[in-house]
Amino acid sequence: MHIEAGARTDLGRVRKNNEDCYLIEPSLQLYVLSDGMGGEAHGEVASKLAVQTVVTHCRQSENSRATPIFGESSPEVSERTNRLASAIHLANRKVFETAASNSEQRGMGATVVAAWIEGQRLSLAHVGDSRAYLLRAGSMDQLTADHSLVAEKVRVGILTPQEADASEMQSVLTRAVGTSSTVEVDTDEQILLVGDFVLLCSDGLTRMVSDPEIASTLLTSATAQEAVERLVDLANDNGGVDNVSVIVLRVVDKSESVFRRLKIWNRHSG
Amino acid sequence: MSRLVLKFESAALKEVPLGTRPVTIGRAPDNDIQIDNLAVSNYHARVYLEAGSLVVEDLNSLNGSFLNDIRVERALLKDGDAILIGKHEILVDQAHDVAVPTDGMRRAPAPRVSETMILDTHERRKLFEAAAAAGERSQISPERSRVPTLTVLKGRTDQKEYRIAGKLTVIGHSKMATVRLRGWFTPEIAAQINKHEDGYYLGRGNQVPKINGISIQGLTKLKDGDLIEVGRVRLNFLYRD
Repeated sequence: MHIEAGARTDLGRVRKNNEDCYLIEPSLQLYVLSDGMGGEAHGEVASKLAVQTVVTHCRQSENSRATPIFGESSPEVSERTNRLASAIHLANRKVFETAASNSEQRGMGATVVAAWIEGQRLSLAHVGDSRAYLLRAGSMDQLTADHSLVAEKVRVGILTPQEADASEMQSVLTRAVGTSSTVEVDTDEQILLVGDFVLLCSDGLTRMVSDPEIASTLLTSATAQEAVERLVDLANDNGGVDNVSVIVLRVVDKSESVFRRLKIWNRHSG
Repeated sequence: MSRLVLKFESAALKEVPLGTRPVTIGRAPDNDIQIDNLAVSNYHARVYLEAGSLVVEDLNSLNGSFLNDIRVERALLKDGDAILIGKHEILVDQAHDVAVPTDGMRRAPAPRVSETMILDTHERRKLFEAAAAAGERSQISPERSRVPTLTVLKGRTDQKEYRIAGKLTVIGHSKMATVRLRGWFTPEIAAQINKHEDGYYLGRGNQVPKINGISIQGLTKLKDGDLIEVGRVRLNFLYRD
């Protein structure tokens, strides 16, 4: 099994700053995406610091088992998933302390969604309304629960999903990295199969492009990078009101990946 | 120009200028100020100018309109008044057209709706406590305190009964599987069960499992007593005390 990754972040059509960012560590098969908030350029500071902290902490933990764990470990998930959550707890602390020591940056924060793959196992951790999806055998499911006011209201039954979609309060988050001294991190685990797609994205994609459109784009693209380019273009074509960031992971057979490289090589040489 | 400012949890969500036309407030989408909360009636209230005075009028709403915490049917408004509808506040701002203060202080722009903001955790707790008190479905299901189990009714597995302990339960031939299926041609990963906030969800692996005889499409929530079929194996999903 082999993971083919594609990624892109884009300003969109309306915003002046790109507060989204992503970081990929191919050697660890670690993929992190973040959407910053906080006005001026502070959202950018928060999201960059968040993704860098997550990747650095995970890399350190690979090199040394003695790397401290931040936040509470859960017996319900693997050590690696707990490690990923720990990295987000640390990112929360770093963003919070940076904001506290610089009055201009007070209140800045970020969402984080992170995927870490080891063999067939996918570990997921997230805070905020950036999402992870799994597309398997034609059906796409959201693996993350948004930490937004409207999503939480839907979950407790105060709002219908239709009312939530029409709501003006979609931008109100109930959890974010860096806005308080501690944060609750949600985790999930999946076993990946050949043919699966994992999608990580900021709300700039999901507010502009419907789930069926996303699914059909993934299924009709030749490579993960092509899928990413087409998804970002779709978000912009539909209005591009927010920054948009997308990471697509294609789970392919080892032999298929060799075959595909040969095909691309042929295309370039032919 | 005078304006109305819709606020929720102290965050400004929307501004509506006051002109000659009445401003309507309610849950229906064709209102000038739409509030998507079930506590708000479709056409809840309106604000309009009458003989130079600003008036708020309740439109026989179910839960009422409150002016500075007093329930009103019709009342005159002045600058700084707060109309409370459901959990939302609408502020009357007539000082908006006053010249910019001369002390050089710039008025902080009201946050735009498109700007992401974070709800204070304390406020959030209050909101959900209020929802629970109002008798709405609580976040914690009664099944939470009971242990989910899989009982094998038919087929070859390594145990007769399994307790679901983790977030991920794999069903298949693989060593990673919690529910290990035996036999030739059994898929490594046949299906999986994921724990989410509100319960357990069955998803496909290399096989499409059935719940109560129907093939699943995507992640499907399991109910107490569901019959799961994975290949030739039949499992009963049960919450036990």
